[in-house]
Amino acid sequence: MSDPTYGVLAVTAVTLATILIGSFALRFSRTTSDFYVASRSVSPVWNASAIGGEYLSAASFLGVAGLILTYGVDMLWFPVGYTAGYLVLLVLVAAPLRRSGAYTLPDFAQARLESMLVRRIASVMVVLIGWLYLLPQFVGAGLTLRVATGVPGWLGGLLVAVIVVFSVATGGMRSITFVQAFQYWLKLTALAVPVVFLLIAWQADGRPALDDSRPPTFRERTTVTVRTDVSFVVTDPVRTVVTGRLDGTTYDAATRRLDVGAHVAREGARLTFPAGAVVPHAEKLEPSSGHDWARPLSGAGGRDHPLYSTYSLILALFFGTMGLPHVLVRFYTNPDGRAARRTTLVVLVLLGAFYLFPTVYGVLARIYTPDLLLTGATDGAVLLLPQRVVGGLAGDLLGALVTAGAFAAFLSTSSGLTVSVAGVLSQDVLRGGVRDFRVAGALAVTVPFLVSLGAGSLAVADVVGLAFAVAAASFCPLLLLGIWWRRLTDVGAAAGLLVGGGLATAAVAATIGGATRSGWLGALLAQPAAWTVPIAFLVMVVVSRHTQHRVPPNVRRTLVRLHAPESLPLRRDPPVHRRPA
Amino acid sequence: MSSSLGGNTHTGHDPADESAFARIQQSEQFQTLRRRHRAIVFPLTAIFLAWYFAYVLLADYAHGFMSQRISGNITVGLVMGLLQFASTFVITTIYVRYANKNLDPLAEEIRHDLEGDAR
Repeated sequence: MSDPTYGVLAVTAVTLATILIGSFALRFSRTTSDFYVASRSVSPVWNASAIGGEYLSAASFLGVAGLILTYGVDMLWFPVGYTAGYLVLLVLVAAPLRRSGAYTLPDFAQARLESMLVRRIASVMVVLIGWLYLLPQFVGAGLTLRVATGVPGWLGGLLVAVIVVFSVATGGMRSITFVQAFQYWLKLTALAVPVVFLLIAWQADGRPALDDSRPPTFRERTTVTVRTDVSFVVTDPVRTVVTGRLDGTTYDAATRRLDVGAHVAREGARLTFPAGAVVPHAEKLEPSSGHDWARPLSGAGGRDHPLYSTYSLILALFFGTMGLPHVLVRFYTNPDGRAARRTTLVVLVLLGAFYLFPTVYGVLARIYTPDLLLTGATDGAVLLLPQRVVGGLAGDLLGALVTAGAFAAFLSTSSGLTVSVAGVLSQDVLRGGVRDFRVAGALAVTVPFLVSLGAGSLAVADVVGLAFAVAAASFCPLLLLGIWWRRLTDVGAAAGLLVGGGLATAAVAATIGGATRSGWLGALLAQPAAWTVPIAFLVMVVVSRHTQHRVPPNVRRTLVRLHAPESLPLRRDPPVHRRPA
Repeated sequence: MSSSLGGNTHTGHDPADESAFARIQQSEQFQTLRRRHRAIVFPLTAIFLAWYFAYVLLADYAHGFMSQRISGNITVGLVMGLLQFASTFVITTIYVRYANKNLDPLAEEIRHDLEGDAR
């Protein structure tokens, strides 16, 4: 472990900056309408930076590199899908939804279907999806603070939770817009600057690459410290020096031969491997050769049915983005449709530029930090690489920069999600008004934080992918059919939301709960979008067709409003909620 | 929270509003606008989904090519994967151009007509 001072300084600096910018903008925030959508008065570049800042979460900052390290090139579909989701959102949903004047998904559900029941179901789904997306942010924060300073994992999550509740309760959305824009550029810098040094060091090192025929090996004598109990598989017998508890025996700097097969190391154990040894893999991962890792659809790392999984992932990410509560509301901050389109183009450039970097980290991690495959803490790759590859004071400083960027990622995404979840909670559960909004903010954060305490070893990008899958299986059909199909009924929508959202949630719960990941069952549960999204559409259409007498009475005029040009005098301004005097 | 959409009963019967809706909905221009919107939205979605799905398959068939190394661990597959960002951007640009050229002016026209009527 390196000197924790720099890590502590980095985290403190990001925290202070976030709070300062937040309270600076506080005085602009006057009405509840300001709180939610910043009065539609933000320019496209600011807005796009804010969207990027809010969107690039723990999954993007840490998770993508970790997945590429473990599973190889197939994982590029994560960042591509995260980005392309905005295209789908723009083309199919953004403009009509803006014109509806509904701020949130439940607002839309109620307005389009004229049903409180559908509104309530939509509210529950928003909260579920928000919590599922918040969970990995806390897991990532715990991991980051532990790597940077050595404190226990829960402390990082707690820190993020407290800051988010504070900044959301005092600033609302307007301040969040400025904070988010700042966070995007911080995150980009925090990954881009170290990459330059990493690549220089890699060049100086003779540009090492993987050995195609075998799994990654330790390049030099390496000591691996086990931070949480881990069960790992040895594929090539190796002599290690062990301190701590291994396979039920406690050693003190004893040399021990590890045979092929499974072994269990307890928390605190230190294993020293000689240079050239094949890196053992955590049991949940499977070793893959350099060749498999570099080949698309090879199933490298132990993912069965890679073609199905990739298609399902693409569907989840493309069609889930529109159902993420913190993404939709951002499109309201554009003054008109043309600005919304320009914003989307800028967003695509900003996201594409950002995702180059986690990819490079993932590739370098395969060479320089393969020991993460043993401990299973692959999400730590981005944080560890600067110290490992550059080293010295420069390595420590770069490490601190990456830590700061990671914290920016947790704070920005958690803030945006918390605003959305709290908005729904305060409107539908605690009944409107700013005071309740603050209580709701605390509630929105507490639940996923508590869950994160018991979920230490989840890959953050995987969990975020599951949140997308649930959104795709619930809100995607609601929005697409709601906007483009006149015959949708309240009963049909409710049934589709319950069946699609319910099935996807069940699959997600099974996966997080540790259900099998192998075979067809494992693939279907781990990537549920490809079957739950069509089922949700089917249920909505079939049930609606059988309940045509319940087509909402004002559907004609609702649809005209959704599709008429927004500059028409038809569109009323969205309701402005005054703060109680 | 009440919404500005027509859904809530208290916004339901404003006769002036009602006639404006009817006028718009029946107008030739509005129908053209809806047609043009649909004509880009659905084909575009189908085409880009097909493009990504086909790309996944192509990557599988051409795996010898995909695993060629450019430098170190950087393979052709990796670079081709990253090019998907560019293709997403190109598709979006096509849509934005279409919308700016074919949808916005028509919407403006409808608005002018309506405001002309009102005077």
